[in-house]
Amino acid sequence: MSYIELAALELTILGLLAGVAGTLIVYRRRSFFAVALSHATFPGGVVFAVLGWNLLIGQALFAIVLVMIMGLLERIPRQGRQVSSGIVLALGFALGTLLASANPGLGVPVEALLVGSPLGVTTADVGAAAAVLAVSLFVLSLFGRRVLFHTFDPAGYRAAGFRSWPVELAVTGIIAAAVVVAMPAVGAILGVAILIAPAAAARLIAPSLTWVPPIAAVLGIASGLAGLWVSRSFDLATGGAIGLVATAIYVLAHSVAPLRRLAAPRTAAMVGGG
Amino acid sequence: MTDVGLFAMFSLPFMMRALVAIAILSVAAGAVGVFINFRELEFVSDGLVHAVFPGLVIGMLVGGSAGLLPGAVIAAVLAAALFALLGRTGGSGRDAGIAVTLTGLFSLGVVIVSRSESYVSQLQELLFGRILTVTVAQLWQIAVVAAAALVIIWCARRALLFRAFDPAGFENAGLNAFRTDLALNVAVALLVVAGVQALGVLMVIAILVLPVAIARMLSRVLWTLMPIATLIMFGAGNLGLWASFEWSVRGSISASPGALIVLILISAYIVVVGVSFAAQSLSRDSTERAQVAA
Repeated sequence: MSYIELAALELTILGLLAGVAGTLIVYRRRSFFAVALSHATFPGGVVFAVLGWNLLIGQALFAIVLVMIMGLLERIPRQGRQVSSGIVLALGFALGTLLASANPGLGVPVEALLVGSPLGVTTADVGAAAAVLAVSLFVLSLFGRRVLFHTFDPAGYRAAGFRSWPVELAVTGIIAAAVVVAMPAVGAILGVAILIAPAAAARLIAPSLTWVPPIAAVLGIASGLAGLWVSRSFDLATGGAIGLVATAIYVLAHSVAPLRRLAAPRTAAMVGGG
Repeated sequence: MTDVGLFAMFSLPFMMRALVAIAILSVAAGAVGVFINFRELEFVSDGLVHAVFPGLVIGMLVGGSAGLLPGAVIAAVLAAALFALLGRTGGSGRDAGIAVTLTGLFSLGVVIVSRSESYVSQLQELLFGRILTVTVAQLWQIAVVAAAALVIIWCARRALLFRAFDPAGFENAGLNAFRTDLALNVAVALLVVAGVQALGVLMVIAILVLPVAIARMLSRVLWTLMPIATLIMFGAGNLGLWASFEWSVRGSISASPGALIVLILISAYIVVVGVSFAAQSLSRDSTERAQVAA
């Protein structure tokens, strides 16, 4: 398989993941968590690049550590809800920068780690992304209803006698895994663009909630492949081009949404809530 | 390292300039950071940080290094208005909207910079900053921009506090929420612009979030938060510059001073959190013991 086909395959899988993980991020308002996590996996990549090991494994390990740190920081009283994400984000960049600056000339691909290189993805990267997609779909096919219940009515969910932590764990796991496998293609800074933007656009134009994941997946694949094509034809950084196309689709959805809301005011109000 | 050595180190002109930059940023970060913390604007701040990036890139393409500041200021003020508009839409749309705006603007910067010849080195310089090569002209720029942020905060301080602690009352009193939000966003954006030249796009978020987070763990008295945050930031800045200097002189490890400053701030936060947890469990134990004794 040529490198361009491999890149297209990777971006297609990530687009599908936008339908699953992206929808969860948007409706559960975990955007800052996803952004902080994707930024903060940067040092894991640097360490493993210095050691000459697989970057993706380093980033995945570091992501697990960071999720645990964030879980601990969130328990601290007397601070805002966003402080833990802000701190983890700062930690990630500072640690990565320190490690990269202390090891000059060791071939740390700082730029690839930060903005990604879709044309440099390996078969292993694609395999990892496909595995995360399959496991996420499997978990959601088992617990999808509970996740939905917990997302839209956490108080009612607890009152009905369910425990919250399995849902939180499953959702956090899916989001974190999706963010990590998006890393080789779109990097630590733009990794969330391909996950969040399609789902946010789908939320604006979907006729009902069940339509959000499939529309998000279609938009995700479209922005990935269109971004790849744009970057090839105009010689632009591929990660940046994908981020721009995804944003453009979101802006387009914003301008289309009011028209659709006029056509069906009741359902639009239902999808908008939450 | 003795005090005399420390003094000698900062008598080097480039170290002195770095120290002055840190001092200016400390004061501004203390004042603006308090409101970021109260209003839970950490995510918006991160968005503004990323939004400044395309401004820096375009500014550099148009006017070289002299174009950096105007480009950044224009981008920052535009983004501040954009985020204030986004803030009016509530719910999950707002959160995702910030994320999309952030990545979209950053993508724009990456795409533009990728068109230029020295792509990688330019990108890294903008991302990581160069506090040790700050020039006197840049110092003046940092000072002016930071002063503008402080003036905005000072003029809007009553409205900002009212809106932070009683948003419903603020609306009912007939005050303009959008204008207040815009003022705060612009102040944050200006601080980002001031900090970016010293610390780079990636690490400027730390000085917005961490000093005040530490100060809030140390004090519950509102008016002490700003001075405490400023002192913490200044102390961490000193320590970071000194450590980076020491390491590069003795161990020949070139550690990024910006990264060291941020890591020192994070260590301070961890220590403060640990101490406050210990103090809490101690006081809980003693009250329990007192209850048992009674």
